Amino acid sequence: MEAVCLDHHPQILLAEDDLELRELLTLVLSRAGYQVTSCDNGLQLLEHLEHADQYNLIISDVRMPALTGLEVLESQIDNPRCPPFICMTAFGDEVTHAAARRFGASATIDKPFDLDEMIELVHYTCLRTKTENLSVRSRS
Amino acid sequence: MRLTIKITFAVILGVALIFSVYSYFSIQRERQQLKKNLSREARHIGESLRFLVAEIWQQRGEDVAIAFLKRADQDYEHTLVRWVWLDGDVALQYQPRVPVEQLEALFNEETVALLAGSPDGQDFLLTYLPLITDNGRVGAIELSESMNEMHDYVQESLRRSAIVVGISVVSGLLFMGVLGSFWIGRPMRKLHAQAERIGTGDLTTSINLSGGDEFAKLSATIERMRRQLAEAREAEQVANDEKYEALEKLRHTERLATLGQLSAGIAHELGTPLNVIAGRAKLIDSSGMEGVDISRSAKIIGEQAERMTQIIRQLLSFARRGEARKQTLDLNILLRGLHSLLEPIAHEQGIDLTVIGTEQPLPVHADSGQLQQVLINLTLNGIQAMENGGTITLTGCRPEVTNIPEKLNNKETVWVCMQVSDQGRGMEQETLQQIFDPFFTTKEVGQGTGLGLSIAYGIVEEHGGWIDVDTTLGKGSCFSIYLPEFSSGETV
Repeated sequence: MEAVCLDHHPQILLAEDDLELRELLTLVLSRAGYQVTSCDNGLQLLEHLEHADQYNLIISDVRMPALTGLEVLESQIDNPRCPPFICMTAFGDEVTHAAARRFGASATIDKPFDLDEMIELVHYTCLRTKTENLSVRSRS
Repeated sequence: MRLTIKITFAVILGVALIFSVYSYFSIQRERQQLKKNLSREARHIGESLRFLVAEIWQQRGEDVAIAFLKRADQDYEHTLVRWVWLDGDVALQYQPRVPVEQLEALFNEETVALLAGSPDGQDFLLTYLPLITDNGRVGAIELSESMNEMHDYVQESLRRSAIVVGISVVSGLLFMGVLGSFWIGRPMRKLHAQAERIGTGDLTTSINLSGGDEFAKLSATIERMRRQLAEAREAEQVANDEKYEALEKLRHTERLATLGQLSAGIAHELGTPLNVIAGRAKLIDSSGMEGVDISRSAKIIGEQAERMTQIIRQLLSFARRGEARKQTLDLNILLRGLHSLLEPIAHEQGIDLTVIGTEQPLPVHADSGQLQQVLINLTLNGIQAMENGGTITLTGCRPEVTNIPEKLNNKETVWVCMQVSDQGRGMEQETLQQIFDPFFTTKEVGQGTGLGLSIAYGIVEEHGGWIDVDTTLGKGSCFSIYLPEFSSGETV
């Protein structure tokens, strides 16, 4: 039941240091039916992740003050409760993409991205997670 | 020309000396010859007279003989003939002109010829021919001949010699003067002019004196020297150009490296506003937006576009390559401009970047791109030295300068200063001594070229300034860039 509940209002944790982009993404994602919690640096993101199971998805910028998105991601490698992680990188930096995937990111997206593309990616990632969860449950 | 005169003088002196000696000896010889002739002549006359006197003495007695001599004396114009007695006390008229002691040879019946001076200063050639009378008394015929004629002759010879010597000297001077100026003076002037030219650094004119004399050889040597100097200078020029070119390339490479370091940050900086712009545009386009939201989105788009413009402008001014384009600029403005360029990078590392300027402008005559590069290098180094965050301060100030390098020490120069101070690791003394050396780096392989500071140093030096470093291990470093203030009265 809990899963169904989350399906209606998936919780997204957004980490982005730029105020304008953070505001924009919050607005758009809210309009798309998500509940968004936001923070503006890596350290805050890490603190939020102490309650990782509250969130269905994490969207994080890579370059951020204090701790980068990649560092946070790396620290969560052994955390089984960590939700899917979408990394936002700048201008197709292949090295960053590769690092992000290696640390277990579900998806990476290049800035500047299309908002529809982002929404689509968020939908897709949440959906896939739900399916995986269901299949795990059905097996058990 | 002085050398010519000296040589001429020496040669002519030698010639005159030789000629004088020659004249002296030839005059002496002539004089001897003349004297001998006179003496022989006197002796001939004397012998004839003696024969006659002896005859007359025997046949007619003493008085007639002496009277004959007196008559004979009147017949000879230049010669004075008289009878003298050689024994002691005789009348004055029979006394010889010279003391009897000088006439000892007469007693041996030998003829005596000698020179004697009269009390009035005239020279005489005296010839005595002995005649022993029947009663055994010794007398002599004295022939005295004035030497005035001979003196006149010698005088004339001397005069001629002097004239000849004088003419030789004058003509020799003229001759040597003309030839000397032609043979010595002219080539000497040419060689001198060439040496002067080489001395002043003009190595383009060649010199070539024809002939095979010493001057021609010297000119060939100078010419060879000139060619070698010219070649050496050309080689040096080429080497310098190459060095300059290499340095310039290195600088460009370093600029690109710094640019690469910057560009990752810049991609992020540009990506985010672009995202906002695109997103806001989409929002405006979408349905269900209220008028207030639309105008807010439009405003945000404008702001973000402006932000991007700023970033791109600074990027361009930094990446511009080429000669130093110096212009008058205010260091405060330069520092403020850098703030927006470097702030994102610093911010990302959790470092605050502060710029402190002065109220009064800090004018310098400099290439803003190059100074920016210096400050970016120093600031990036500072950022890398601050793993634990903190504050980097860029300060513009008018310092109390105490440790001006000796070669820049000019009391009239007013110095202005930019300082980059970090709160990083600081440096050890050994590191401090090497930081301006090319390729010296404390960063890991691939992280730094080791050129940043040496290039920064070169740039500041080119602007007539210097970089000073103050560092405390564990507390941070402060790089001070001193530049001469540009006063409006200066011409450029």
